[in-house]
Amino acid sequence: MENIVDEQCFEVSISLDSEFGLHARPAAILAKEAQNYASDIKMVFNGSEVDAKSILDILTLAVPHGGHLVIRATGDDAQEAVKRIKKLINGRFEGNT
Amino acid sequence: MAHQIFKGIPVSSGIAIGKTYFLHRGTHTSTLRMDIEQSHAPQEVQRLQTAFTAALHDLEKIREKIPGELKEQTAIIDSHIMLLKDRKFQTAARNYVNERFINAEWALEKSVTDIEKAFSKIEDEYIRERIQDVRLVADRVKSQLYGTPTDIKSLTQRMILLASDLSPADTIELQLDKIMAFATVSGGKTPHAEIIARSLQIPAIVGIEGLSDIQDGQFVILDGFNGRMIVDPSEEELEHYTQLKYQFQEYQSQVNRNCYLPAETFDGYKINVSANIELFEEVAAVIDNGGEGIGLYRTEYSFLNRDDLPDEEELYEEYRDLSSIIYPQKVVIRTLDLGADKIATQFGPVREANPALGMRAIRFCRKHPKLFKTQLRAILRASVLGNVSIMFPMISGLQELFEVKEIYFEVRQELKSQGVSFNPVMPMGIMIELPSAVLIADMLAREVDFFSIGTNDLIQYSLGIDRTNKHVSYLYQPLHPAILRSIKSVVDAGHEAGIEVSLCGEVAADPYCIPILMGMQIDSISLNPQAIPGIKRIIRQATMDECKELLKKVLESDDVKTSNKLVKEMIFTNFPEELMFYTSLIEE
Repeated sequence: MENIVDEQCFEVSISLDSEFGLHARPAAILAKEAQNYASDIKMVFNGSEVDAKSILDILTLAVPHGGHLVIRATGDDAQEAVKRIKKLINGRFEGNT
Repeated sequence: MAHQIFKGIPVSSGIAIGKTYFLHRGTHTSTLRMDIEQSHAPQEVQRLQTAFTAALHDLEKIREKIPGELKEQTAIIDSHIMLLKDRKFQTAARNYVNERFINAEWALEKSVTDIEKAFSKIEDEYIRERIQDVRLVADRVKSQLYGTPTDIKSLTQRMILLASDLSPADTIELQLDKIMAFATVSGGKTPHAEIIARSLQIPAIVGIEGLSDIQDGQFVILDGFNGRMIVDPSEEELEHYTQLKYQFQEYQSQVNRNCYLPAETFDGYKINVSANIELFEEVAAVIDNGGEGIGLYRTEYSFLNRDDLPDEEELYEEYRDLSSIIYPQKVVIRTLDLGADKIATQFGPVREANPALGMRAIRFCRKHPKLFKTQLRAILRASVLGNVSIMFPMISGLQELFEVKEIYFEVRQELKSQGVSFNPVMPMGIMIELPSAVLIADMLAREVDFFSIGTNDLIQYSLGIDRTNKHVSYLYQPLHPAILRSIKSVVDAGHEAGIEVSLCGEVAADPYCIPILMGMQIDSISLNPQAIPGIKRIIRQATMDECKELLKKVLESDDVKTSNKLVKEMIFTNFPEELMFYTSLIEE
């Protein structure tokens, strides 16, 4: 479910289907993907907002299995970023290293 | 590190209380906080950055080597790579350096602790345990940091410097005003660190094992009197040593005030107290400490730590400068006293099973006449002011001495025919440091102008021990009857022949040995410059009669223990203060 917040800001909300929650490996994959974009990318869970480009931040969010999170990107490539990240999470981080 | 006491060999007196810093740390140990100068923060940030980059580079290389079938392995490494690249992590550490002015290691430590705090709140146990990955990654960065230690120049407070060994290069690079004491692992094989410590008048200990286990920034007391380093001292220890430190400073200033007075006993016996030095820079210390000339100038330094050999001009300038700066006092220049294992590579690698009994000192010089003659020419040319004497080390017999003299006179003849000036009556002496030379001292005395007894080696050769070998160093006993008889017979043989006898070993700087040497009527002693004021003071407070009486008793005693006791009693009665502030070669 994608929301256009404004022209440069995109948001997607998604629930995590990873076996262990957002642990080290998926967090690494996610941060690495986020770093490919110029946009500022945030991850929101349980009222906390963190930098999606920081593996440490993602880990400290401690999103459990089935946890509900929001990815919010701001910038020129924001739309592309949220789309890719959503795909990554839905695909259970497969096919990426 | 909890309370612990390390023991080593004290080489420079004094007490230092402060934090440690390990130079060129090769081993991985934990770190403590050190404060840095504000202006050095950018450099420290750069260290951090470089360490992160290098650690990342290493991990990427490891990752490349992992074969495809071990995919799970790459996942862990990938997350570690991501941690290393993490902006939050790096920024947090950098901010600590920039805002708190602390060393990179501690900044890194602080940022890891912060992350730990954040993780400890996580309920999910699996994720909470990822902090271990953060630790592992931080360790990689830390070991990179050890490869590029904090520039000692950037430290704000004065440190107690720990090192495996200190090379001359280290001491040149170090900002010595930032160092309040030294301790090294190596057991005084290179006296350089000791000399620097003594000329700076800072306490130093060598030969301490396990130094690298001590964290940087650890609070310690370094006791340069007894060779003890106390890690994490108790309140009582701190109080005791602080008091001792002030007492010593008080004592030193009192002693130093009178250091220019002659070393003359109450009953009018005068002894010449000169200095042993090996660096030109030490001349200042000789003058400052009331040294009456230089009784031993070790010439090895100019030949060490280089790929070539010094030429005649270079040596001449060095000796000439020395002669003119100390004039009208005398300087005794000893010819090269090095082993073949220590000198420039053009002589090819020399591997000897036993260098101490091998190709060294005068033997080495005779084998390499070109090198020897170069040095002889330089010394002769520098002798024109008339205050230079020449001395040959390690002479073992008469025949050897004749051959050395032959080379020496040949060089003089050469200079003469070339019209180069030198002092034709320059005194020529030999070091008496081999038992064979002791036994034929009467024969040797007829051939030279003076003797200098080198007790450091004489004791080792006579008792057959290497004093740096901790298994046998207990046998190093200056008051062994054989040693005392040796010294006495050399002094007597010299006086019989009408030549001066001096002594230039460490015993000359040992307050316990001084009364004995005085009793033997030694003409002069030569010791490290910093010990001169204290030794002169003892001589001034003694009477020749007491010393002769003590010597008589000690010579009659047939065991070292009794001799040590006799000497201690005498010192304790006459100079109780010296007992507190001097290290002695005499066993308890």
